[in-house]
Amino acid sequence: MATLRIENLTFRYPKSDKNALENINLDVRDGEFMLICGNSGCGKSTLLRHFKSVLTPYGERTGQVFINDKPLGEYSDREQASNIGFVMQHPDDQIVTDKVWHELAFGLESLGYDQTTMRLRVGEMASYFGIQNWFYKSVTELSGGQKQLLNLASIMAMNPQILILDEPTSQLDPIAASEFLNTVKKINTELGVTVIMTEHRLEEAFCIADRTVVMKNGKIELFDTPQEVSKKINIEEDVFKSLPASARMFRLIETNKSCDCPLTVRDGRNFINSLNLKGEKLESKENNAVNTEPVLELDECFFRYEKQGNDILKGVSLKAYKGEIFCLVGGNGTGKSTTLSIISGLNTPYRGKIKINGKVQKRFQARDYKIGALCQDPRTLFVKNTVLEDLKEITNDEKKLKDIIELMNIRELLGSHPFDLSGGEQQRTAIAKLLLTEPEILLLDEPTKGMDASFKEKFGSMLKNMTSKGISIIMVSHDVEFAAKYADRCGLFFDGTIISENEPRTFFAKNHFYTTAANRIARSVFENAVLTEEVVALCRKQRQGL
Amino acid sequence: MKKRDTFSTLHPSVEMLYFVWVLFITMFMMHPIVLATSLISAMVYAIYLKGAKAVKLQLFGVLPLMIITAVMNPLFNHAGVTTLFYLSNGNPITLEAVLYGVAASGMFGSVIVWFSCYNHIMTSDKFIYLFGRIIPALSLLLSMALRFVPKFSHQIKEVSKAQESIGRSVKDGNIMKRLIAGVRVLSITITWALENAVVTADSMKSRGYGLKGRTAYSLYKFDKRDKMVLLIFVIAALIFAASIISGKIYVRYYPSIRMNAEGALSILGYLAFLLFCNLPMILNIMEDITWRRLESKI
Repeated sequence: MATLRIENLTFRYPKSDKNALENINLDVRDGEFMLICGNSGCGKSTLLRHFKSVLTPYGERTGQVFINDKPLGEYSDREQASNIGFVMQHPDDQIVTDKVWHELAFGLESLGYDQTTMRLRVGEMASYFGIQNWFYKSVTELSGGQKQLLNLASIMAMNPQILILDEPTSQLDPIAASEFLNTVKKINTELGVTVIMTEHRLEEAFCIADRTVVMKNGKIELFDTPQEVSKKINIEEDVFKSLPASARMFRLIETNKSCDCPLTVRDGRNFINSLNLKGEKLESKENNAVNTEPVLELDECFFRYEKQGNDILKGVSLKAYKGEIFCLVGGNGTGKSTTLSIISGLNTPYRGKIKINGKVQKRFQARDYKIGALCQDPRTLFVKNTVLEDLKEITNDEKKLKDIIELMNIRELLGSHPFDLSGGEQQRTAIAKLLLTEPEILLLDEPTKGMDASFKEKFGSMLKNMTSKGISIIMVSHDVEFAAKYADRCGLFFDGTIISENEPRTFFAKNHFYTTAANRIARSVFENAVLTEEVVALCRKQRQGL
Repeated sequence: MKKRDTFSTLHPSVEMLYFVWVLFITMFMMHPIVLATSLISAMVYAIYLKGAKAVKLQLFGVLPLMIITAVMNPLFNHAGVTTLFYLSNGNPITLEAVLYGVAASGMFGSVIVWFSCYNHIMTSDKFIYLFGRIIPALSLLLSMALRFVPKFSHQIKEVSKAQESIGRSVKDGNIMKRLIAGVRVLSITITWALENAVVTADSMKSRGYGLKGRTAYSLYKFDKRDKMVLLIFVIAALIFAASIISGKIYVRYYPSIRMNAEGALSILGYLAFLLFCNLPMILNIMEDITWRRLESKI
């Protein structure tokens, strides 16, 4: 079976003056579920890549990795290929072949198994992961969640002893992400495979891990059970912001360190109930913009892609006002992104009106107002070799450029190739480029995908900054926590139309499932508190009053 | 809905062998009875597979082509001893050339229709599988290409949509502007593809690509039914081949037409070929009967 030990590992990328990993000592027990968390750029991925020789980055290195007390380097490539499974971040790029069945068999083909063994392994894995229904499909027909599940299954077909996952759910929507995490947990408990996973969305991953490592600047800060880590971690730390809502509430409210820290919504609710607080209701947020003339109005828009197809949008009506953030939440495939496409003019509704500043837009004609749309992959906006050239493509006005560069804080990125930036940096650069076109309305499709909690905060305040300049933002998101915190109004999208719409407090208080973790924890006491901060503030106020 | 076809559930090698043999015979035998058998069988099977679409193709695509071929040959080919009449430029139209033209048009027509059946039945999966048996590296390459092409064209669409949303549309402006916008989209998509290729390469390496002794997974099993069908194939083909080699099925167009006399052996040869050409239909009909029986019992 498999244990993994790291001794004094220090690593530095070539031409870098800083160690990417510094004196890492870690031991992973047989059959353990180990979670590694930390901000983007803390060295998580670099560390994971040291667990497999073919993926180890090039650079200066001291220290060693042992598997079952034997140095990693002494295992042959064949042994490593089958015993150490590695799942990466982007579901699409890892898939090599065109058909699901071929992808499942890919690893086994490389290892040179005979037909009978391959059939057995592929069959076993397809059944275990519930793939048999899409076994013959082309991979292009799969959803993101299915693709990542396929990646996992094709690794598991080789029967690895250690499974390494590098932010596997960052590109998935919440439902697919939790399904994926459950599968990983199932593999860990049912098959006894040792799992090492990095993750930045800890709400769900945190409580299923046996032990957690917190990394910062290439060093291990904390290494303990999730329970202890959530008790010990410094609340000023960036990683604290991504802990589960219940754990954060506990740390911010409770001073008694001997209690167990709640990690799930259920435990968090018990904790809040144990405080014996009085019920209280927050004022709903004032939104003065609603009384003004809407900037954009959709009036019962219908849309479908083909004449014979099904309606994707079934009478969408929405209003967006100047200087507000309107956030559309809802499940996959309900038509949220399609709504954005009809606003931006990429698609035209076959019935219904679109009004801009009260003026009806003619069909099949260019919109007479400026709109900036950011799609899910910011990389699609970049066409030049450096960030600066890319921005200059829009305008050469020095002053405008300078303002935007300051606003989005991208001065130090100007010389880099846009593709070399990290996800968050790409997002910022893309928005900078959009802002240079001076849009009145900004459309964002899943902007927080793949962002860590501390960058989300920065991003949120950037959005607020823009709205204060009079830009309206319409955003589509799965991230209810982000919507609750920054949106002025939220709408729930279902079955091609908006079924409920309100300012966030009232909106989320009305929902039972589609709401923030903080609201689910505290709703029995504080009916419409939707943010952890709000719940904490109310608790503190009452406790001080006692 | 796609019609269920029993023949296409056979092992790919059997299917391939069938098409190779039937096409080979059709292309090199100019015998009228053989060609007529081949053409009619192909048409029936194509209509069975694709319904109205096949009828349309045969009426408006294949038939005009056949007529043109049949007319062209005597106009340009003047060999043969039996002159029917003279053209205004003094060239003779011969009986042999007319008949040869008809035969050639039959050959053309049946080859086209057989190929339309082939396309329907030999999917990329089967093709890759068969080639993988001969050149394993090629089958992976093909499979990766089939993965890459749709991904790449999807990304091109995404990039042009994004560019359109910031007013750099490929659809606006004069030709030059559009061309520049198009090239820009293409160049960035290539950069994107190269970036992703790094991840794909990592994924391949970490799953042991490049180790010695790579095998290929196959979806297909050669079962008893395949053996049976193959046996019938071989017997029918051998009988037919025997009647050709022994000269019992034979035709010559130039300079004068000579054909075999109809004897027992030549009729046996025709029947064998008829059976061969219609095996897919026979399989289908047999299964239809089985199902009708099964359903009527319920």
